[in-house]
Amino acid sequence: MSTPDSPTERDDPDDTIDRQDHPREWDEPENNRTVPSERENINTDTEKNDARKIVTGEARYTADYHERFPELAEGTVIRSDIPHGYVTDIDTSAAEGMDGVYAVITPWDDEVPDKLYSSSGQSYPEPSPWDMNVLRKHVRYVGDPIAAVAAEDSETADRAARTVQVEYEELDGVFDPGSATNEDAPQLFEPDDVENKQSGAEYERNLESHFEGEIGDVDAAIEQADEERVVETEWETPYQSHCVPEPHTTIAYTDEDNRHSFITATQVPFHTRRQLAHLFDVPIRDIRVTKPRIGAGFGSKQEMAIEPIAFALHLKAGVPVKLEMTRQEEFTALRFRHPMRMRMRTAVSENGELTAMDLYALSNSGAYGTHGMTVANNVGTKPLPLYPRVPNVRFEGDVVHTNLPMGAAMRGYGAPQGHFAVEAHMDEVARQLDRDPIAFRRDHVVRAGDLVRNSAILKDGDRFARRIRSCGIEECIDRGKDAIGYDDLEQPEQSHRHRGVGMALIAQGSGVSGKELGAAQIMMNEDGSFHLQVGGVDTGTGTDTTFSQISAEVLGCAPEDVVVLSSDTDLTPFDYGAYASSTTYISGMAVKKAAEDAKERLLDWGSRMLDEPVSVLETGSGEIYSEETGASVTLEEVGYEAIYGDEKREQILGRSSHSTDESPPPFGAQFVDVTVDEKTGEYELNKLAFAADCGVAINPPQVEGQIEGGEHMSLEYATSGSLDFEEGQPKTHGFRQYGMPRTTDHPPMETLLVETHEPTGPFGAKSIAELPTNGVPPALSNAIRDAVGIRINTLPITAERIKQALDHTD
Amino acid sequence: MYTMQVDLAINDQQEQLDASKSDSLLDVLRKQGRTGAKRGCDTGACGFCTVLVDGEPEKSCIVPAANADGSTVETIEGLGSQSDLHPIQQAFVDNFALQCGFCIPGMIMRSKALLAENPDLTEAEVREALSDNLCRCTGYKKIVRAVLDAADGVDDTSTSVVADGGHLGVSNADGACGCCHDGGDSE
Ligand code: FES
Ligand code: FES
Repeated sequence: MSTPDSPTERDDPDDTIDRQDHPREWDEPENNRTVPSERENINTDTEKNDARKIVTGEARYTADYHERFPELAEGTVIRSDIPHGYVTDIDTSAAEGMDGVYAVITPWDDEVPDKLYSSSGQSYPEPSPWDMNVLRKHVRYVGDPIAAVAAEDSETADRAARTVQVEYEELDGVFDPGSATNEDAPQLFEPDDVENKQSGAEYERNLESHFEGEIGDVDAAIEQADEERVVETEWETPYQSHCVPEPHTTIAYTDEDNRHSFITATQVPFHTRRQLAHLFDVPIRDIRVTKPRIGAGFGSKQEMAIEPIAFALHLKAGVPVKLEMTRQEEFTALRFRHPMRMRMRTAVSENGELTAMDLYALSNSGAYGTHGMTVANNVGTKPLPLYPRVPNVRFEGDVVHTNLPMGAAMRGYGAPQGHFAVEAHMDEVARQLDRDPIAFRRDHVVRAGDLVRNSAILKDGDRFARRIRSCGIEECIDRGKDAIGYDDLEQPEQSHRHRGVGMALIAQGSGVSGKELGAAQIMMNEDGSFHLQVGGVDTGTGTDTTFSQISAEVLGCAPEDVVVLSSDTDLTPFDYGAYASSTTYISGMAVKKAAEDAKERLLDWGSRMLDEPVSVLETGSGEIYSEETGASVTLEEVGYEAIYGDEKREQILGRSSHSTDESPPPFGAQFVDVTVDEKTGEYELNKLAFAADCGVAINPPQVEGQIEGGEHMSLEYATSGSLDFEEGQPKTHGFRQYGMPRTTDHPPMETLLVETHEPTGPFGAKSIAELPTNGVPPALSNAIRDAVGIRINTLPITAERIKQALDHTD
Repeated sequence: MYTMQVDLAINDQQEQLDASKSDSLLDVLRKQGRTGAKRGCDTGACGFCTVLVDGEPEKSCIVPAANADGSTVETIEGLGSQSDLHPIQQAFVDNFALQCGFCIPGMIMRSKALLAENPDLTEAEVREALSDNLCRCTGYKKIVRAVLDAADGVDDTSTSVVADGGHLGVSNADGACGCCHDGGDSE
């Protein structure tokens, strides 16, 4: 079971300064580290607090709120059907004349802001260029929004939208990221089309960003190395759709206090509020954003993709407006995982030391730059920390524009691409040097106590270097190996079928280092229950339940005695939102601190009622009890006394906010067992196993759910998901053309939790949500290499690609 | 823009609903407040809108409302309540077989039809039967387990408690479990 991590001391003379800024021992509150027998509500299977309303169909998502608005209009967006050009004219007269049409908007309307902004839903100022308008006169991909209609129902809005005539002056498009920076390539942006440009931008060359960082001297190290021991590989990944179950949906209305309100499927209510305020020039306080249940986000709902259109329609129509995307819009016009090409080079010394790692990424940002640079940054900064002791490391990237749909945040955030390159490369290096790929990686892999500098390779200084204080990756390897049967694999009887196993090691982060803030307030009721108001956003993962468990563990009540109200900008404290795997780690810590704040008051009342000093009191099982005398008083008794007492009265409440530079990586090991038919290239997945170190799992079955769902997306990325285009025209319009895995496409999956203790996280927890999206592509590529000796470096991995590679080696 | 009326027996209640010519069954259900069935694609490709029409699982987004006239419709609203869950719903809750929940009403209705037809199921059969219902969050593992658990409960009519842990806790006076009887819903 679990052994709390004690960082191993290593001799590292250069490290003395860093020990002050990045201490190995973390000064954690005494109550943060518990052994299993002390835990009442954490690391326990706790029913998801919205489970019952979900299974009865009563959980309400944005579109389900239509009943609340008798006058609700429905919107439809008119989108560009050419990949590149200028809109010269929009004829809306037929639509405007139709019965039941309330408003038609175009880029020329007063209600439609003419400002540049980024839809990224990031902190302020966004680390993404401000390069788009709400409705666009210069269209840069098929799907760019040009106009919109609001009508009494969606049928009427659709019919009206079809009558809108758009005229264009067409321009040449560029569709290949490899040639987008060529001098003669069509240019998407004039330099003054963009504000808030990001590092290395050269819009004359369709370059949204160029970045580079180096530790040591990579060229010298490679120069010195034996040529045979320098390995270079190339990798390519496609577009992936979030396939977000609930399409993007928003209801925009203005209430009786003249405040603009949004019920919207968003991961970032507070960023959305700020972005809308800036864009429409409205005071922040006059906007309210409420997130109901949402049908998951996976990064696509970090984007403020449709709220501005809904708002402009509402302003013009004067009635509440609902805008709900179609599945075709989700597959063609909304947001995706960035396609990338990567090159990886390493040098290994005679005695087996990795002396240099050199990674380059070319990211296709598509038509706009939302999350372009930051996702590409994570291609290196997430997987490279697996190998923190390599002395010479370089990571460079270019982010280019093409006339294709825009990439954006997607679960994993560059790490799935990066892990494909790094972890399949490391396997290849081991095999070329005749080493066991697992043993080779074990030699170099991250350990507790390491100071990771390559996570901050793109930043100045070492502020964001990371001390590793919890690391269960070796145990993940051991348990994963056992689960997959690494050491005794039986080969199939037929001689043309070959079985192989592959592994990928994985790291992520817990929030964005130095760019997070979570906050919470907790109030006690008379009956000993609590109301928790927290900005943290539950996108369906179950973090509201996690919050209730953390509160309960501190306050001594049951999780169901904590009523969680989350993510409403009028009613809850601030939060950066649900992205970068931050919610349990950042918002969860805010909740813990708020609960501790309330507990202080609780114990004060307990002390008065029990006539014992606070120092001997504890909470648990719905009581405050004395560790000295055993005397106790129930939380309910305290609740009534605090509110209705004779002498003194008080609302027991606690509040706190939490921010940090720390972002401890969770670790994992993905194993894939595959059988390949060498005649056809067809392959069969026999099993997936994933072992994860996410610190202390607050709600283990929810953590397993994250892992299994993450592996599902990763399986798709490895085997079946991608978008097709012909000269910028999308060919993938829906689930039928896209390869989202179904029940029958999933091999058996074994999920293993390896407990460590992360001293900076709430009760030892790190993140989990993104970690498991990274592993299947490299692990499968490695398994196929193991089975039939060929290397597949392009996703998705198809029978055809395997066959081609096999034929090539014959 | 209502142009016609359709008669439906929804969850054992006879109802006459307004509909326009282009309305699907999903449209009319949702318009009159039964929002449990979800719209994920509107083209019959995701299964989030699955309801039972005359006992058969159908993707209600591609059933024209006019064609449903006169039929019996079962929706998620007709199953158990939060304090008295139907055994399949209970199995989903107990197995943590849900995350965002958007696919779940459809999954449960599909499972209900499946178990009514054949409560004695292998994992492969469950996977085959659910293969038209997508889920983006769970990786399906816990969903499949929930349906198998519910099947155990259904199959094992002699006792009210399932073998592996007994958390279904289903009991029914007449020895049936409530998810395989004919003709719609009891709750
Ligand atoms: S909404 Fe009916 S199948 Fe997708
Ligand atoms: S639980 Fe989210 S789609 Fe299935």
